[in-house]
Amino acid sequence: MTARGKTSDFPLQHGFFVVFAIIFIFFSLATQHFFQLDNILNIFSAMDPLAITASGLALVVMSGRLDISVGSTAFLSCAIGALLMNQGELNPVLAAIIVVCCGALLGAVNGFIVVVLKVNSLIATLSTMIAYRGMALALTDALLVQLPPPIRFLGNTRLGPIPLDIFVMLVVLVLVHLLQTKTAFGRQIMAMGNDIAVARKVGLPVDRIGFFSFVLAGALASVGGILTTIQNGAVSPFLGSGLEFTALAVVVVGGISLLGGRGAILFSIIPGAFIFEMIRDGLTNLGADPYSYRLIGGAVIFAAMYADALKSGRYSMRRRL
Amino acid sequence: MNAQQTSLRMEGISKAFAGIAALRGASLEARGGEATAVMGANGAGKSTLMNILGGVVASDRGRIVLDGAETVIRSPRQAAQQGVAFVHQELTMLPTLTVAENIFIDSLPSSGPFIRTREMARQSEALLARLGCSIPPETRVEQLSIGDQQLIEIARALRHKAKVIIFDEPTSSLTGPERQRLFNVIRGLKTDGVVIIYITHFLDEIFSICERVTVMRNGETVWSSPISEVDPAKVVHLMLGVAENEGRIRAPIEAVGEPLIAVTGLRRDGVLRDVDFEIRSGEIVGLWGLLGSGRTELLRALVGLDPIDGGTISWRDGRTLAPIAPERLHAHVGMITEDRRGEGVHLPLSISDNIALPNLKSLLNKWRLIDRGRQNALADAMIDRLKIKASGREQIVATLSGGNQQKVVFGKWLATSPRLFLLDEPTRGLDISAKTEIMRLVVELAEQGCSVLLVSSELQELMRVCDRYLIISRGRLIDELPGSAGASALMGSIAMIDNDLEVAS
Repeated sequence: MTARGKTSDFPLQHGFFVVFAIIFIFFSLATQHFFQLDNILNIFSAMDPLAITASGLALVVMSGRLDISVGSTAFLSCAIGALLMNQGELNPVLAAIIVVCCGALLGAVNGFIVVVLKVNSLIATLSTMIAYRGMALALTDALLVQLPPPIRFLGNTRLGPIPLDIFVMLVVLVLVHLLQTKTAFGRQIMAMGNDIAVARKVGLPVDRIGFFSFVLAGALASVGGILTTIQNGAVSPFLGSGLEFTALAVVVVGGISLLGGRGAILFSIIPGAFIFEMIRDGLTNLGADPYSYRLIGGAVIFAAMYADALKSGRYSMRRRL
Repeated sequence: MNAQQTSLRMEGISKAFAGIAALRGASLEARGGEATAVMGANGAGKSTLMNILGGVVASDRGRIVLDGAETVIRSPRQAAQQGVAFVHQELTMLPTLTVAENIFIDSLPSSGPFIRTREMARQSEALLARLGCSIPPETRVEQLSIGDQQLIEIARALRHKAKVIIFDEPTSSLTGPERQRLFNVIRGLKTDGVVIIYITHFLDEIFSICERVTVMRNGETVWSSPISEVDPAKVVHLMLGVAENEGRIRAPIEAVGEPLIAVTGLRRDGVLRDVDFEIRSGEIVGLWGLLGSGRTELLRALVGLDPIDGGTISWRDGRTLAPIAPERLHAHVGMITEDRRGEGVHLPLSISDNIALPNLKSLLNKWRLIDRGRQNALADAMIDRLKIKASGREQIVATLSGGNQQKVVFGKWLATSPRLFLLDEPTRGLDISAKTEIMRLVVELAEQGCSVLLVSSELQELMRVCDRYLIISRGRLIDELPGSAGASALMGSIAMIDNDLEVAS
């Protein structure tokens, strides 16, 4: 057995939290409004759709693949739901169920292309990312689809001081976390992410596991889409645009390796999503140029990816020894 | 022989790959409570036979009888269901998962949707205890040594209630103590009545752990008996067959003069140690040892394909012999391996392009672009010199026969005019006439002053050309024999049991 967790590994293993703490303290000192309960709750509330979408994407990443269609999946499924409510006067609960089913179906299409047609997952979901968004734009004529009035105000619902969608996020993340860490399906996703050839040799149904990871990613993307829609009171033509990359960044910044097989949902997604929303919020409070968010977000992604590359380099060294 | 005791019988197994017979009516008999060694040289068919038993490939003919009942095994999963487990040389571990998860991954014990973690840990502990080890089940496998990982692999086999466990070269990457521990584990499994099939290239191991030995050669089973009826020399003799003297291509010469290359104290931990030798110009030196003895590893270490941990390689540059780094030596050496498809040629490219690749620098014109005319001239010269049978220099290498592909590999390196050739099984998979042609080519190179270090599994082949033999075993050069040495002397030299189990370090 080799010893792990030496002191020299500390900055690498915990680099994320060092960066996190520095940014947090900086914003707290530099602005008046940042370090207030209301604002912190705002950050949590704003990050909910991102966190939920990222948790689904994380399952695919853990299996060793990618899904960059999650933003478009959220848009298309929510557009269908909103149109059904407006034009078909559908019951909102039923509409929500249909939206999630649509998301799962769109994910299943991804799964089919990757698992059955054996197309590289990045290419497969790149094509569906473009196609799904195109379909949604055609359906909505690229216009804003307003929600019916009673639902439009659902976004402001609070339980005591805490916005309701924070609870939704926590419940969803805990469920996905349990799925990943405590069920056979979750562990077999991790096994597959270690080495798909070995997993197949050991006798795991890797095709089925891979397919359902995409279905779940699609369904969770649409749940994230529903939260965004409720927060905005409408489905905008920009819903989920760029979400796939922010979600991927959340996954990686949170410590889930792009090589697959590593990480845990709850402890990766929440801090990962929080740091991005915190930067956006802090910069707004600072009154900074709105475009500076992209530059700083990009720097954080780069730092996280670099740390991941360093870490996995060490792991593979260890494996060879 | 008592038929009721027999647990496993494979009879009349035949298998051909693309029309070439790998197994011709091979058989195997093994009993519970015993370890049966399966021995054979490179290409004897033992891996194919084991892959059939493990469900990795299907046999063309023959039957497998397990516990008196004929058994059909079509996939690794089916093999597991029938109680046949395969501990591969390449372990099938999932490094980021825990020990318990690795053992149970294909059928995780669950109640409702959730895994019964504690139950799984308890069972894992029990399985590992049977193997005499106490690795905590929550440990991640990536934190374990290869030896420990192998035990997890065996534990996984035990969980499937394996009646037959095939060990494929289990000790090749173990340290000395780990090897002893594995032997204890195997002894324990034998007491439990498991049929052990043990594949190795290390002769000493079969005498310390196996009760029976089966020897294969050219796809047939040529010997099967209790281990007490053979000695190491006999096993080597059976593996290699009677060395038919095909006649020397060149009588052994005694090279005189200064060495071209001198190696002292070369060491690669766990693989090679104390390697000292010299090669003179124009000399063909045979590196003779069984597979796994470190012969390929020695060639790789010489040219820096694997890092070395100590020792000096000296190379003659002009009149002086000066130390040289292995990576630098690579530029002076033509290295040809048995894996010509993987390492030797680029199959989709033409003969001309293949030969040009290592020589591009010398083919540049004044614009620093490749001079087609010179490339073509070079290719034509090589095709002519090596008598490559092809429609022309533009023929795609993939469409050539194996022998001609290997000649293209020679052509690539010849054009760089190396002074030393390292040849690792250069005739593997070639027919007899192609083999002879390659061997003639080797002699021709030596006549022109090149030195050659030649590895071959076929003793007959070495005996046709070598001027001198270096004998390698467990990563050490244990002896040196003159070119006049006979087959029995050469076989005897590698049958010596090395009681010193540590390879190196």
